[in-house]
Amino acid sequence: MSEMGETEKSEKEKSESEKAPSSASRSDAASVGDTGSGSGSEAPSSASRSDAASAGDAGSFFELPKEIGGIDHVIGIGIGAIYVTWLVRTARSLGFARDEGFYFHAASDYARWFEMLFRAPAEAMQRQNIDASWATNHEHPALMKSLFALSFMYLHEKWKLFDDASTAFRFPGMVMGGVALWVTYLFGARAFSRRAGVIGAVLLGLMPRVFYHAHLACFDVPIMAMWVACIYVYWRSLQEGGFAWALASGVMYGLTLETKHNAWILPAVFIPHAIMVALKSRSASPRGRISFPSSLLAMATIGPLVFYWLWPWLWNDTLPRLQEYVNFHMNHEYYNIEFLHRNYFGPPSPKAYAPVMVAATVPAITLILYATGTLERLRALVRRFVPRPGEPASLSLADQPRDRALTDVLLFLSFCAPLAVFFLPKTPIFGGTKHWLPAYPFLAIFAGRGFDRVAAAMHRAMPQLRTAAQRFGAELALGTLIVMAPFAVTQHSHPFGLSAYVPIVGGTAGGADLGLCRQFWGFTTESVEPYFEKNAPPNARVFIHDTAWDSWYRMTAEKRIRPDLQAVGSPGEAQIGLLHHELHMNEVDFQEWAAFETTAPDWVLAHDGVPIVSVYRRK
Amino acid sequence: MVPAFALFELGLHVWQTHSAATDDDWAAAKAEVAKRAKPDDLVAFAPRWVDPIGREKLGKDLATVEREAYPDVSRFPRAVEVSIRGKHLEDLEGWAASDTAHFGEVTVTTYQNPTPIKLLDDLVNHVGRPDMHVYDVDGAAEHACAFAETAPQTGSLGFGPAVPGARYSCTSGSFVGASVLPDLDYRARRCLYAPPSAHGTLRIRFDAVSFGRALHGHHAISVEAERNGTGVPVTLVFRSGAINLGRVVHRDGEGWKPFELDTSELAGKTAELVVDISSPGGDRRQYCFEADTR
Repeated sequence: MSEMGETEKSEKEKSESEKAPSSASRSDAASVGDTGSGSGSEAPSSASRSDAASAGDAGSFFELPKEIGGIDHVIGIGIGAIYVTWLVRTARSLGFARDEGFYFHAASDYARWFEMLFRAPAEAMQRQNIDASWATNHEHPALMKSLFALSFMYLHEKWKLFDDASTAFRFPGMVMGGVALWVTYLFGARAFSRRAGVIGAVLLGLMPRVFYHAHLACFDVPIMAMWVACIYVYWRSLQEGGFAWALASGVMYGLTLETKHNAWILPAVFIPHAIMVALKSRSASPRGRISFPSSLLAMATIGPLVFYWLWPWLWNDTLPRLQEYVNFHMNHEYYNIEFLHRNYFGPPSPKAYAPVMVAATVPAITLILYATGTLERLRALVRRFVPRPGEPASLSLADQPRDRALTDVLLFLSFCAPLAVFFLPKTPIFGGTKHWLPAYPFLAIFAGRGFDRVAAAMHRAMPQLRTAAQRFGAELALGTLIVMAPFAVTQHSHPFGLSAYVPIVGGTAGGADLGLCRQFWGFTTESVEPYFEKNAPPNARVFIHDTAWDSWYRMTAEKRIRPDLQAVGSPGEAQIGLLHHELHMNEVDFQEWAAFETTAPDWVLAHDGVPIVSVYRRK
Repeated sequence: MVPAFALFELGLHVWQTHSAATDDDWAAAKAEVAKRAKPDDLVAFAPRWVDPIGREKLGKDLATVEREAYPDVSRFPRAVEVSIRGKHLEDLEGWAASDTAHFGEVTVTTYQNPTPIKLLDDLVNHVGRPDMHVYDVDGAAEHACAFAETAPQTGSLGFGPAVPGARYSCTSGSFVGASVLPDLDYRARRCLYAPPSAHGTLRIRFDAVSFGRALHGHHAISVEAERNGTGVPVTLVFRSGAINLGRVVHRDGEGWKPFELDTSELAGKTAELVVDISSPGGDRRQYCFEADTR
């Protein structure tokens, strides 16, 4: 009975099945979801097993080797590269978010230090020179901002690959978006099937919020990428064993710590998982010895060293500065955010926030596939812990010798941990969905797994598809059908990614009806440029409202906005006033009524009929 | 089922992204509203989030401050609601629709107030008139606050209501003028912005108010100053000559709080009305009130 599927196969079994391309071995080699109708409670018939098997990798990628390896990196990198290309090509039409302005500034300071480091290393290592650059924006670690700086130095300043400095600053974040898709593909392919990997990676990229954040010189998509990459390396270390994978786990955890503080949550994935792995290994060991994964030790030791080594600000006064960093995030102020027509600005945060926002921002077809894949894996997981009477004892966790990495457990923990934080009453919700992006690769992997199930069902329903090419064509058509809505929704969301909601809740207007956050960070100012071009007098003073000064200066410097326009800080000083629509910003709207002596904006920038920015004009 | 749902979601997306009201829809609706709306009528937009587009398309002459920032709907005999997506304003629940017209995606409906009242006077409208006076009161001494019309003062988030250009400025730093307050629900409320000082009473005297049976009003503190619930109360005392009409208190967290005082004794008369505003502390007491007689 192939209940556990490929992930639970021992390496020996795997290699044996890979060597024997008979129909029987193809059936055995079928992925987890090819266990039949879905209940998982009964052994599938030989016919359905045969269907299921041929719906697996062998049917889908009939030319590819069965073993996941180098070619899969090519596939994964290819998906990632297409995504990065899309991001680069759409970057110029997306204005700069508030935080980007701060990180542009920080990266520029760090770039000066890197220049000094390359020119005069000893001088760069002096405390005053380190602190002069690295004190800037020290509430976040240095990895991404260092990459922003190096990208700016080389891809814009030196090699002129990007005309816009901002695109160079943003490029490492975009690459991280590509990396997230690459690793998601690999994870899905190894855990379930190449088909699951491809669909998972594509659906991850086709989440409007992921697409928006992947453009930015920020840390939210990078931490998503590092989260899934770190877990992937840990998982591989459990499968492969050995010093190199353990070392890689330690380094990866250090890099993840160095990306964003979401990494602090990773022990909530690794520790319970490692305990379960250890318990399993004890039960499997003839002497009952407990063996913890060496990768865990590496992460606990090498990880902090990498974190320290890559962040020059910590090189002096290390402990007080570390304390300051931790305190900043443990006592982070709350910002305003609307949820179901109420403005939240402090604890307690609503427990429904994360589930509702996931449902309202992730395409429904993705969630349906996720539910399909999740239910099947949960069922399988439960049966490993609680075997039914009469079932082979090997189905119980304690006696299950295969899948020593406990893949399903790891996937569920990895998905749940980033979201679980948002069920705590004191966790601020001001970041919208961006703070739980690390859960999304795992949501996508389960969705890929769900697609496996749907594809298997299609093959059972269409026995007339006999050749591998026919089956592959049918799967391709099914996959295309599945990704069409997510693609259309994601493409249409640009450049209003934070305002866009998925069709099942009514789209952007549906989100407004529900009283969900319209936007934050003031990045939509760039979309007002056509109005400025046509209506703003020369050197007009513009109240830029929620746009950060650094973001505005960058937009004018790159001529995304007319460079003669002058930013001012209050409506009263302005000839033109902007208002970024958010519930709590109504206060500013009413001020503009007084300042411009009218309730009527001269123009309203809208997305699908929903106000995004009001523009007032002094007449 | 799954492929069918994939197509369904795509179809929904296409439909939703092509169903927003067009400029032509709004232009036709504007012409209809201009035809229907009388000066005393409310003109309002549903859902509330479409209000900025409604104001843009209908213009400030139809979307006036008085209509946009009304204290409540009881003062309007009729309402002309401009709606999209089949939405209806909660404030107009119970009002009877009398005439509906569709202009593409925009619907214009006239509603009748089931309990219309006759509004006799509105204190907010007295600003700048010769019969309104403002004083700082220190013990028994009254210090007049001079009226002037200058540019309004504005800031950004956290500034509070705009400090009105037409205002009575007091030596204590207090002032009184008509502004628009964001209440605890972030709704616009036109009112007399009268932040009390910590050391005394802010007094407003209206020489000639037309009284009816009730003095009907609301008061609040600007949302950012009120929402934390840490500020001190603000007290409002109304009297006319020797008649004490009543005292109302606003505490943080109460939002746009209604009040109604019995003025039967003065019904049908035009008389003085004195309002004393005080608070034991002046920190961010961005206080605003409005009242009418009916």
